[in-house]
Amino acid sequence: MQTNSSETAGMTPLNVLIVDDSATMRALLYRVVGLADLPIGAIYQAPNGAEALRLLETHDIQAVFTDVNMPVMNGMELLREMAARDEWRDILRVIISTDGSRLRREEARELKVSLYVEKPFRPEVVRDVLCQIASVDVH
Amino acid sequence: MSSVKSPALTSTDQDALQSAVIEVCENAYFVFVEACDAPQFAALVDQVRAEKGRGPSGRWLNASVAFHGASIGEVEVVLPERLGTWLVVSLLGLPPDAVLKDNQLLDGVGEFANMVCGAWLSKANETASFTLDMPKVSRMPAGWTPDSAPSGDAQAYRTVVVNDLPLEVRAR
Repeated sequence: MQTNSSETAGMTPLNVLIVDDSATMRALLYRVVGLADLPIGAIYQAPNGAEALRLLETHDIQAVFTDVNMPVMNGMELLREMAARDEWRDILRVIISTDGSRLRREEARELKVSLYVEKPFRPEVVRDVLCQIASVDVH
Repeated sequence: MSSVKSPALTSTDQDALQSAVIEVCENAYFVFVEACDAPQFAALVDQVRAEKGRGPSGRWLNASVAFHGASIGEVEVVLPERLGTWLVVSLLGLPPDAVLKDNQLLDGVGEFANMVCGAWLSKANETASFTLDMPKVSRMPAGWTPDSAPSGDAQAYRTVVVNDLPLEVRAR
């Protein structure tokens, strides 16, 4: 986990959790999140849903970017666990996955996922997602 | 692979395989993809073979991703290690001369295959949901080169040029 020192006056820094079993994708998302012109606080990383839950239990996190297909605990299982916890109701949930099927998107909507980004994605898509999150919830 | 095969693929599915590679390369890696026929592919393979001994460029990587859901199958991507390195460096925005750790290279190439498989399945069947297994990436033995022809069980097969290097993708 590392922090991004850039802060925009008047905005609460956003703590972000990136969940993906691919270290490459985590590194890419870390870079893209860091490039966003937003007050990012801490960027946490987890290789699966189980580790993500452990981080959610122990850290103050405002946004979760998760893959779907992962070992140990997949992204949908993670989101189901999150949906069952009232204290996590305000955490923004974003799926970033190769699986863009209608079935998966419907399942995601039921699990309070705000945005669904399909891989491959252009980096600016994730930046725009962060800007949407900031404009709605961080001001 | 499982004995339950993917349904027979049409030429549209084969085109979808190439479109998937193009979509992944252009959206995530900002590189254009060119189609190439068997003689062109063979010439590029020879070029890679001639580079043997100059760093990792003479070796080939094989990345496969199995999928299951509405049907069962596998997408396999074969590419020179030099192209794999370039793709990972490009995706992560690293300096062109960056030296990757082996696990970085294999993970990155696996993610490339994962994206190609996902993009292809989305194009081939827009309504069905699939689960993708973890990518398996291996380095082929020294001296190994692709056949530049579809193997008997490949249902879709395409060869393309990415950043002046050959790449083969097949689905079964």
